[in-house]
Amino acid sequence: MKKLVWQLLTLTIALAFVLSACGPAATPEAPAAPAATAAPAQPTAVPPTAAPTAVPATAAPTAVPQTTVNITHYFSDSLGKKWISQLTDGFGAANPQFKVADNTTGHEDFKTQILVMLAGNNPPDIFSYWAGARTQFVVDANRLMPLDDWWTANKMDDVIPASLKPLATYNGKIYAVPMNAHIVGFFYNPKAMAKAGITTMPTTWTDFLAMCDKLKAAGIAPFALGSKNQWPAQYWFDYLVSRTAGPDYRTQLMLGKAAYTDPQVGKALETWKMLIDKGYFYKNANAYDWTDAADQVAKGDAAMTLMGTWITGYWDGKGLKAGTDYEFMPFPSIDPAIPMVVHGSIDAWTIPADTHNKDGALALLAWFLKPESQAVWAKGQGALAANKNTDPSIYNPVMKEAADYLAKTNFLSGYDLSTTPPMAVGGLNMFALMMNDPSKYQDYMKQTEDVAKQVFKK
Amino acid sequence: MIKNTTNQTISSQEVEKEPSRFLHLSQQGLLYLALIVILVIYTIPGLGVLLTSFKTDTEISMEGLWNLPHALRFDNYVNAWTSGDVAIYTRNSFLVTIPATFCSILLGILAGYVFSKLAFKGSEYVFIFVIAGLFFPPQIILIPLFQLFNKIGLYDTIWPMIIVHTAFGLPICTLIMRNYFSAIPIAIREAAIIDGANEAQILTRIMLPVSLPAVAVLATLQFTWIWNDFLYPIIFTRSVQARTIMVGLISLQGQYSVAWGEQGAMAVIASIPTLLVFVFFQRYFIQGLTLGAVKG
Amino acid sequence: MVKQRNMWAIIFLFFPLAIYTVFVIMPLLSSFYYSFTDWNGFNPNFSWVGFDNYLKITTDPTFLNAIKNTSIWMAAAIIVPSGFGLMIALILQRKIWGANFFKSLFYLPICLSLAVIGQVWIWIYHPDLGLLNLTLNFLHLSFLTDAWLSDPNTALFAVIVAWCWQQIGLAMVIFLSGLTSIPQELIEAAEIDGANYWQSLWRVIIPLLSPATVVVIALAIINSLKSFDVVYIMTKGGPFHSSDTLAMMMYNESFQKYYIGYGSAVSVVLFLIAMIVIAFYFRQVRELEHLYD
Repeated sequence: MKKLVWQLLTLTIALAFVLSACGPAATPEAPAAPAATAAPAQPTAVPPTAAPTAVPATAAPTAVPQTTVNITHYFSDSLGKKWISQLTDGFGAANPQFKVADNTTGHEDFKTQILVMLAGNNPPDIFSYWAGARTQFVVDANRLMPLDDWWTANKMDDVIPASLKPLATYNGKIYAVPMNAHIVGFFYNPKAMAKAGITTMPTTWTDFLAMCDKLKAAGIAPFALGSKNQWPAQYWFDYLVSRTAGPDYRTQLMLGKAAYTDPQVGKALETWKMLIDKGYFYKNANAYDWTDAADQVAKGDAAMTLMGTWITGYWDGKGLKAGTDYEFMPFPSIDPAIPMVVHGSIDAWTIPADTHNKDGALALLAWFLKPESQAVWAKGQGALAANKNTDPSIYNPVMKEAADYLAKTNFLSGYDLSTTPPMAVGGLNMFALMMNDPSKYQDYMKQTEDVAKQVFKK
Repeated sequence: MIKNTTNQTISSQEVEKEPSRFLHLSQQGLLYLALIVILVIYTIPGLGVLLTSFKTDTEISMEGLWNLPHALRFDNYVNAWTSGDVAIYTRNSFLVTIPATFCSILLGILAGYVFSKLAFKGSEYVFIFVIAGLFFPPQIILIPLFQLFNKIGLYDTIWPMIIVHTAFGLPICTLIMRNYFSAIPIAIREAAIIDGANEAQILTRIMLPVSLPAVAVLATLQFTWIWNDFLYPIIFTRSVQARTIMVGLISLQGQYSVAWGEQGAMAVIASIPTLLVFVFFQRYFIQGLTLGAVKG
Repeated sequence: MVKQRNMWAIIFLFFPLAIYTVFVIMPLLSSFYYSFTDWNGFNPNFSWVGFDNYLKITTDPTFLNAIKNTSIWMAAAIIVPSGFGLMIALILQRKIWGANFFKSLFYLPICLSLAVIGQVWIWIYHPDLGLLNLTLNFLHLSFLTDAWLSDPNTALFAVIVAWCWQQIGLAMVIFLSGLTSIPQELIEAAEIDGANYWQSLWRVIIPLLSPATVVVIALAIINSLKSFDVVYIMTKGGPFHSSDTLAMMMYNESFQKYYIGYGSAVSVVLFLIAMIVIAFYFRQVRELEHLYD
């Protein structure tokens, strides 16, 4: 009997030993570990499928000691993955001392993944992140590496447009390097517009409302909105606030220095309510995804949708032609006295403070920002390149318009990237409530301010 | 479903050799009709998955899901299989699922046997303690677990999934095995003890053979659950070499778009092993040894 | 004798409890610890806030709402999949033609990844192109159509239906295995005594199925308290928390708002509720078992 107990104990110890013995071999922390830090179970080193690369792979990789650069990003759809791997393959071929290990997951799971990795003190060497309040959140936790030296050494001021530099800077230092920009505006179906007899697009608010009436009379819903996942509705709030109360007020609101019960917020929501009450929105916005809204516009059931430039990638994928099937129009001015801003989002790269491969991460970062890489990326993603020296011929006519508009307009992030994450959850809920029943907007303002009080500890 | 009409059949028919009951043709027809109606409604979402796998994303977004595809294309299947590292993912899925299924059932048998036949003072509290582990939403312990695996150097290997699934599978395996063992008469065990058998012998030679149906059920369920899990591999691994097929499937969801067609195809491919496991094991738990045989 | 029995109990329990303690209980204890802090996950510096998070729970309307939704979910989980699962198991247990094929079909939903299934259900509930509304329109029942997932009155039930659908196969499998352990002679004896099918079902089959039923119901309780994936895919708890479950809320607090401390407190409360429910349940089960001993 006792013998058995002892045998079991020995077995446990043996098991523990085996487990810990497996460990070191697989630890990715080893500074100059050979490339394959794979599962110990079966070390079948399957080489990454050689994708067509811009740079011919001439260097013999055996000569140089190779280190791995672990990259995590949220460009997880097939296009994003394809173009990232094209860039990293090119990088690997040109820099045989580095091997890039890409560990993308689904976009939504990325948030959980990156939090757990940082909290568990084993972050990737470089990861994509949303510039703005989310990056600020990580910077405030001292988890990111300042990139000022790299920025100056690589003369980034000549590369990144000045309007985007604020999105790279946090607490006075550079922490996030923009990879691409997306701007938000009205994407419309010119054929649906023509059907309602609209030939010139409005620039003033009165003309804009007149156009909506015309569309509605022709049986076409002026706006499609798919706010099932809440965030698509935020751009209405963004533009209505910054066009009626001004960008400075909006920034104050985002930082918790203004209240959601202010008359400025009231006015924006009132305008929004007016648009809903007039029946300008395609019904049941909260039931649809943003892609549903894009489809409604493409089919001509609705005339336009307030969305980011990524919609061009979606439509191009469906075989729509820029310029004939869809067009871009900035959100019109409401109060001419107020300076125009453009809302959107910046995808950026950040490097953790405790990265295992600083040199590799910085080299990869520089590679991503090269005009050639930027051209490949922006074209493939349907995004606006962050490098202003990127060849503009990569853009289709609609993206060209968007790029020109961004070049001459101040940029502000969208709501959920401008305010701190817990506040964003509360605000997004308000926007969905607006689309459900705008009549109670004053109640929503109070509820949202209650959230703000808690979040900003007012 | 089975209305009173069946009663006469049951009582009038002699049921001797065949354990099943004979039904008249008309009644059998009714039964089939009912079954088919249930099945049609029941299989619609499954058919939906099949439909997506044959459609292009454009077709889905422009016409909705519920039309027949324009042509029978296998592009999505080809893409799902060739793009990325599906072969490695699949291999890893097997490397994780088979040992984790085996270990969790093995431990569940041991614990379940104790709680049903070797109950000691306070053992029901230990039992509740084991079962209680099932109730935590797993997300909340991701961070501590990540730290643990990182510290012992198992991060980015397939070990964390094997270990965590074994540990988290333990409660359900214990519960099912305990319940199954409880239904086995104590007299059998006592007779064996009188014959000089020890508990290990009783468990392996008497209890286990009788419990094959329960083990088969567990094997099926555990295999399915572990195979379909994507949370742990996403969190505990980062390289292709350690990831499972479900990660490949989840990775098709992008920031702004989802490759529905390819995802549907991959889901169909990924469901084949679980379905085969079910088909293989079901004869054990459906036509397996019955307790009656032991009792007699 | 008793001593030897206990010795064996220790040997048998050693490995299960060791693994369980290290990989489930220890991480649980650290999340218990986090529940007393204001940790946001990113910041290595966080402070001890005592019972603040727990006090916040008592006044948080979203928590009460999540409790309510989870209770509804649990009730549905106990009744619907077990009812259908039992019915299907009883039909398929007969030696009818193609039974194995049907069994596989009923098991199929569990084999398919939830990420994909959830999406298909979204397409079923889609307001314009969804199968449900299309069918209702076809049957001239247009007044019944709805934007199922965006209507706060229907969202929770729409998600529960999708979830129950997937769980039926699970209940069926366990009932099928339970049915095999019922001695055929007992049923036959009941029938020879003149019992009709319903009587033998109620008096013989269902009581003898109770070990399987215990498992099915325990699983239903467990899975409903943990219900997350399908909510996450279909509604993310919305609209306006109308389909929030406790697990969904815990996720939102921890990974959307980065209130890991508060999220941990929610999960500790969830754990305590679960302990009470399961302890109560097993007390009932034990009484039942004594009845049939």
